[in-house]
Amino acid sequence: MIHILGVQLFENNVVKYALTSFYGISRHTASRICARLQIHDSCRVRQLSPTQITAIAAFLSSPSTSPIPPRTSLASPTFNPPPPSTPFRSLPGVQAYLAQLDVPPPPLPRQKTKGADPLRWLRIETDLKRERRENIAHQRMIGSYVGKRHAMGLPVRGQNTQTNAKTARKLNRIERHR
Amino acid sequence: MSFLSFTVTTRSRASLTALREVGSSLKARSYAAQAKGGSVKQNVQGYKGGKNQKLTKKQQRLEAMRNNKSPGVRLRPTPPSQLKHELFQSQRLDELMLPDFNAEELTERNLGKAMAFPLPENDAVRVFGVPRNVLLDFRILSKAASVVRDVTIKLVDRLQAASQESSQKNRFVLSGSVGSGKSFLLIQGVEYAASAGWLVMYIPRAINLVNSSTPYSYDLRTQTYLQPLFAQRTLQRFRTVNENTLSSLVAEEKIDLHDGLSLSQGTPLISLIDVGIKDQTFAPTVLAALLEALGKQTKVPVLLAVDDFQALFTKTAYKTPHFQTIRAWHLSMPRLIIDYASGRKTFARGAVVGALSLSDKTYGLSQELRHALGLQPWLQPSSYLKVAPEITAFTKGIQILKVPEKLNVNEAASLFEVWNKNKSFHTPGSDEVFLAKYTESAGNPRDFVWKGLLSTLQT
Repeated sequence: MIHILGVQLFENNVVKYALTSFYGISRHTASRICARLQIHDSCRVRQLSPTQITAIAAFLSSPSTSPIPPRTSLASPTFNPPPPSTPFRSLPGVQAYLAQLDVPPPPLPRQKTKGADPLRWLRIETDLKRERRENIAHQRMIGSYVGKRHAMGLPVRGQNTQTNAKTARKLNRIERHR
Repeated sequence: MSFLSFTVTTRSRASLTALREVGSSLKARSYAAQAKGGSVKQNVQGYKGGKNQKLTKKQQRLEAMRNNKSPGVRLRPTPPSQLKHELFQSQRLDELMLPDFNAEELTERNLGKAMAFPLPENDAVRVFGVPRNVLLDFRILSKAASVVRDVTIKLVDRLQAASQESSQKNRFVLSGSVGSGKSFLLIQGVEYAASAGWLVMYIPRAINLVNSSTPYSYDLRTQTYLQPLFAQRTLQRFRTVNENTLSSLVAEEKIDLHDGLSLSQGTPLISLIDVGIKDQTFAPTVLAALLEALGKQTKVPVLLAVDDFQALFTKTAYKTPHFQTIRAWHLSMPRLIIDYASGRKTFARGAVVGALSLSDKTYGLSQELRHALGLQPWLQPSSYLKVAPEITAFTKGIQILKVPEKLNVNEAASLFEVWNKNKSFHTPGSDEVFLAKYTESAGNPRDFVWKGLLSTLQT
């Protein structure tokens, strides 16, 4: 059993699906996180190295401020790699590679732009729950219809209330917890 | 479990008590102590409830069965070896008596004959594995066997020529329709090379290189994504299969593995392999260096055989950190194979043989590869299709060896006899069944065996 940021991940589970145990991470987001950290699709939680576990924890603790991975060049058909004994600093393209590592991530725009990395806007667990509560509280504060419906514990988006509406009655409130 | 019981006289009781204490498995002999005119009573042999009783394994098992409270009795079937009655002998399988598959026997004289692969402990096929459809055949047959076809002789002839030439001129791809026997033909080529003393590296499922089943990490030096675990496993298997031949080979030049780590000239190649097996992080570099060293030596020819060859030219399931799909030639293992298949790197003596597989649709034969290899030239790719220039560059000079779509009658008859002797049919096969199934399957090997012979209830 591995604990990352208070969430338990079972050892026999595939990492790509185990990460969905976090509130706010879907399967697609989990795939993106695995790609970011170069974890292959069939990797199980027990196969993760301590470095990888630390990387997952570091990323999830603050996704918006985590460093953006550098853009790397890929070998062309005629590329001849230098011999293995070449020092790292002498490799072709290393200066551009290192330069990207030193650059801090740019400030986060308020809204997602098309084609941007969605992981930069990722929020999980308590941050996400707080954001939802704040959104609902804002709606109530400005006296909107959405806020009133949340306050009454009724459906917000025009659903029927003569029948059904059980989920809304159970979950909709100003201090919503899930 | 009840045994005969007898009454016991005083004189004999002591001796019997002594015997009981020795072990309840010992029988008290009825002749040992028998009073005149008195009846001899032996104690009941077996478990009596005493805690100090020593039980045999059989008695413990029977006791466990007796104490079992669940409804129904747990019965075990009688082992087949104890079924001595004649009624059970008709389905008894005799071992397939087939000649062994070796290099000397692969001549036109043996065309159409079935041969069994000997499969010793360090056999290439046993150690490297086989494709999934072939594995099924080998598991069902009591001995892994195949039929020598005319295309087998053609492949063997090409490999014989390649043993004296550079692999630059001997790069083949086996192509044919679905179920025509490409994988089996490749296995025959591998077994031929192994028995002829070649160094053999066989990758039976190249799809496992591209389906994101092993770890990967970017390497700035090669500008590819390394696959250290797969490289390590390949090194282990290569060492196991070719240990005898490798022990006589040494590095002809100094081999650099890392900044600060190198092997001097004259180091046995087995030591080089051991470095990669011991530390996974060095495995991709060691594998590349090993193949380069084997390419330079001229003592022993080298065969690099790959099944699912088309998977090396597809989009993989791996993603970059920016979630872009990685192409197969940007992974270290496929890139290494492609380098030898394209002729950018060569073996001084040897060949590179690939087999296309049409079973998998995810990593199947793409239009671009089909056009690049010149298969089905009447099917031009669409003008709107974006053809990767790398595919054209990597497939230049690769020759196609066409596998015939159908077996001829002699080959089919040998195949039929193998499965018949294996007693795999619902009822013992006859000529009518053979001809019927051969006609229905149009001679296609896979359809003939799986959809014809093994699926029929025809009497």
